[in-house]
Amino acid sequence: MTRVQSGRGGYRNRASLLFGATLIVLAATSLVALAGCASKKKAGMQGTGGNGTNPLGEQTMPGGRNSLEDFQKGTLPGGENGPLTDIHFDFNDFTVRAQDGEILRTDATWLTDHAKARVQVEGHCDERGSEDYNIALGAKRAQAAKDYLVTLGVAAERISTISYGKELPVCPEHEESCWARNRRAHFVAAQ
Amino acid sequence: MEIVGPGSRLSSIALPELKNLAGDDLHEISGAFVDTLSHDLKLSGYLRVIDAQAYIEDSQDSGNELGHFNMADWRSINADFLVKGGVTVKEGEITLEARLFDVAQQRQMMGKRYTGTGDEVARMGRRFADDVLKAITGVEGPFDARLAFVSTRGGRFKEIYTAAIDGQDVFKVTNNPTINLFPGFDHSAHYLLYTSYKTGRPALYLADLQARRELRISSILGVPIEGALSPDGRYIAAAIEHGGQTDLHLLDSAGREIRALTQGGPINVSPAFSPDQTRLAFTSDRSGSPQIYVMDLGGGSEPRRITYSGNYNTNPAFSPVGNRIAYQSREDGRFNIYAIGLDGGDPVHLTEGEGSNESPSWSPDGRYIVFSSTRSGHARLFLMQVETGKIISALLEDKGDDTSPVWSWWLSE
Repeated sequence: MTRVQSGRGGYRNRASLLFGATLIVLAATSLVALAGCASKKKAGMQGTGGNGTNPLGEQTMPGGRNSLEDFQKGTLPGGENGPLTDIHFDFNDFTVRAQDGEILRTDATWLTDHAKARVQVEGHCDERGSEDYNIALGAKRAQAAKDYLVTLGVAAERISTISYGKELPVCPEHEESCWARNRRAHFVAAQ
Repeated sequence: MEIVGPGSRLSSIALPELKNLAGDDLHEISGAFVDTLSHDLKLSGYLRVIDAQAYIEDSQDSGNELGHFNMADWRSINADFLVKGGVTVKEGEITLEARLFDVAQQRQMMGKRYTGTGDEVARMGRRFADDVLKAITGVEGPFDARLAFVSTRGGRFKEIYTAAIDGQDVFKVTNNPTINLFPGFDHSAHYLLYTSYKTGRPALYLADLQARRELRISSILGVPIEGALSPDGRYIAAAIEHGGQTDLHLLDSAGREIRALTQGGPINVSPAFSPDQTRLAFTSDRSGSPQIYVMDLGGGSEPRRITYSGNYNTNPAFSPVGNRIAYQSREDGRFNIYAIGLDGGDPVHLTEGEGSNESPSWSPDGRYIVFSSTRSGHARLFLMQVETGKIISALLEDKGDDTSPVWSWWLSE
């Protein structure tokens, strides 16, 4: 073997592999240290979470399943409605439509009649647009629905919000009739 | 010799099997090296690999150094370039050497030697491919790097994966039946930041890919929905939702806030650090529609809007030298990939009219962009040559929807 060049693409030998191993240990240690001082949860990389945890805890629901749970079970997200009725939104918009005010008044009445019930408002979007923008837009929709219920007298502490962006469509086709159904705030009640 | 690039006649290269220098049957090692090298050089778009059936010379009966083999055997099959090499195995350790020759000039252009284990042979092929491209084109190739992406290949759930650029060595980072999104590396590709709904609510996770452990990044500021890891791994630019409002915040790598980057009103998402970490590109609808903005992280000045064509521009990605930004722009309900200067100069469209083309990410040498496209039906990752806009190839096996690709910096030694 005559002269060989080295450089970035040069020798890969035992020494460099050992050095790599040292770096790994140091990095892992520093992460543990960070986790400790910031009191952050640490989780293994494989098979963590996602076990169908109900984000509302162990409370039983009178119907109206969480959309992520539906998706995990292989059923249409939010396909099963509970006591509360979904509202829908115009394209790229998060204001409650005038015609949906009546739905929210009925939903608010149910919540007033069931004073111990809590509700999670899910914000959803149609498939157009980017994933992240739609999560932000879905958050605005969920918040708009929550704010509306609050103006109708439902205590804000009883209402939580979550956005799934465009990740959990209730209707899978790539057409406006589906998009209109997917642009929604879905209500999951628990008591 | 003149190097001809894409669009004209490709230079040809011959890649015969390695010589077994220890006299053993090392066919498998040779195959792993030559196949990877061949695949990557084809992906580069600069070279045509001559079919091995045309080769006259037997690697096992010839030497590897100039003067120890018959160059005429290679000239006669119209090879412009030739790679010859050999391999020895001693106590499980593989030593592999390879040389690149200019056939017409009968000259050795470059030679390398690698030592490692059997599962490192494919990477030796990638590194040698990068070196071959440097010797022939003057710029190092981009293949000794990793891809991270989102895929439904395992079922209906979006999970995060990493893989070699050439699609080998696929590693599943997440394994939870929920939603996992927005992977991004630091410069070392040692850490991967992503969003997951694995607890039921979105949060950021900072995974140490080598130690295979991770840190959950939650925030007292609200719900983190997306983050970008700074090249040095010390900072996170996070889109955090609170009360329906999504703003960008600069966090340290444990999730503690350093400062707010945007405040109130519009949606602010898609953070992307410049390679030198002095700037952040992002998407905001403060003008009434989603557009790309760039802010100086040193503070002081207002973010500058850089896109003015189109009414939905998002997913900015800095080029490796930091002078251009690739992004996606919506046209007729689908996205196309564009690149634009930091001053908002003329946007250049890089894809046109075939499916929806999204999530561009530059190769570390700046010559390629990986992106996802529905041009062949469901979403797959494609490799594009930036200069020509030529789509070279789909990457990875055709399984499920592959989206949100990111191309890491070159891996370290």
